[in-house]
Amino acid sequence: MRRPIVRVQGLTKQFIHTTRDKEFVHTARGGAFGPSDTLKEALSHAARAPLRRFRGARPAGTVAALTDVCFEVEPGEILGIIGPNGAGKSTLLKILARILEPTSGRAELYGRVASLLEIGTGFHPDLTGRENIYLNGAILGMKRREINNRFDEIVAFAEVDRFLDTPVKRYSSGMFVRLAFAVAAHLDHEVLILDEVLAVGDLRFQEKCIGKFDEITKSGRTILFVSHSLASVTQLCGNAILLMGGEIQRRGPAAEVVDYYRMVSGSELARA
Amino acid sequence: MSASYVLPDKPLVVIERSAAWASMNFRGLWAYRELFYFLMWRDLKVRYRQTVLGATWAILQPLLTMLIFTYFFGRLVKVPSDGIPYPIFAYAGLVTWSFFSSAVSLGSNSLLANSGVIAKVYFPRIIIPAATVSATLVDFGITLVLLAPLMLYYGYALSWSFVLLPFFIVLTALFALAVGMLISAFAVRYRDALYATPFLIQIWFFMSPVIYPSSLVPPSHRWLMELNPLTGIIEGFRAVLFGRPLNWSPVLFSVAFPMVLLIYAAHRFRKAERTFAEFI
Repeated sequence: MRRPIVRVQGLTKQFIHTTRDKEFVHTARGGAFGPSDTLKEALSHAARAPLRRFRGARPAGTVAALTDVCFEVEPGEILGIIGPNGAGKSTLLKILARILEPTSGRAELYGRVASLLEIGTGFHPDLTGRENIYLNGAILGMKRREINNRFDEIVAFAEVDRFLDTPVKRYSSGMFVRLAFAVAAHLDHEVLILDEVLAVGDLRFQEKCIGKFDEITKSGRTILFVSHSLASVTQLCGNAILLMGGEIQRRGPAAEVVDYYRMVSGSELARA
Repeated sequence: MSASYVLPDKPLVVIERSAAWASMNFRGLWAYRELFYFLMWRDLKVRYRQTVLGATWAILQPLLTMLIFTYFFGRLVKVPSDGIPYPIFAYAGLVTWSFFSSAVSLGSNSLLANSGVIAKVYFPRIIIPAATVSATLVDFGITLVLLAPLMLYYGYALSWSFVLLPFFIVLTALFALAVGMLISAFAVRYRDALYATPFLIQIWFFMSPVIYPSSLVPPSHRWLMELNPLTGIIEGFRAVLFGRPLNWSPVLFSVAFPMVLLIYAAHRFRKAERTFAEFI
């Protein structure tokens, strides 16, 4: 096996959720302030700390979003990541995108990683299409020189030349989404992490997107692809991993993992 | 990228739980300098878009404030101004104060205002308050444009000591950045900070020698004023502008305290940065 471009070892992420506020889930770092929302709550939480010890209060619950996840991705591989909602797929992506920190474990990236957790990140409604291309490109990690080089391609792909100097708040939702996708589609990073950003817009544009996606996969770039569309995963990915309850339940060729998932879920919907 | 990409021996990035002590990551900051520039450019563009007056708004605020204060404090109340004509005395103070208060207001809200990108993309978060303060610095530059004609009108000439002015400007910027960083990082988790900030700034205005000289305060109480780094900065700024002798001890304190605060703020910010995306 060739050396991996992404190597994940023992990645674990635990969130603490407070007994007080069940929706508030976050990481406890043992700082001066407990898990609270307002300063008042934090201070009263701290003030009651000695009392809690006496009363033998329950520890807050822990949500194990990811437990000991290990896998490697070869350069040029297209890896599908599937699993039910709440399985930890988004958490895994966010950690690989360096937005969240793992509780323990390690991931090594041997190439530049671009994470597309959403399109149009950072778009500002008052700025023009042209300005937003530069802004969004920079936010996604492109250098100005790269954006300059690919500017015309991006505009052509998005089909917004006439409206390039209009503020994007005037764009139709279709135009907006095409522009956002166009910038994302022209990233030059070696590894792309895609969270179901496939095929947006009308039918014709969707076909363009799929064509572009083909081009990207054939260029030898590495892709981590999270999707609920099992058909897409089977069609596009070489291998896949199945995440359930924060652990990898199955790994291997995409078709095999998808079949296993369908069997394990046993629901009508899994046949999508 | 093509199949000819050569894998490096060492990973480009290692993702793991950070050590308790947060390093500054200067190399990371340098790598993201273009993004810093873009965020600053965005702030400036957006600020004056769809306005008729555009950038002149930056001058109007200190100018109008100066006129109002000149009437009430210069004429009616007759606040002494160290022998400098009150209008320009006040303008010099107001220009610096405007910069500091805008930088702190915007800086302290900057992380929350950029919650979208923080939740979705990685970059060293310090870029956000830094870009906000830098954009405000540009506004400050615009207010200085009016200072030159005002100085000439009142008969103050340019002098070699003006070379010290950028020093005070940068010092103010760094101090505002430190305060902004601390408040914004705190505000991500406890929104109380947002409500406290305007109040804090109001009080700070009266505690600083913006529209009155620090000589107004009796010597026994003056040390209290000098605990405020803005005192040394504003008085120093005025001293250089109007060719007065520089009072070294408040100035030195105004250098030392902001620098120490900046280092502390950077450290706390780096630590808090790890969980921004979870709370924002």
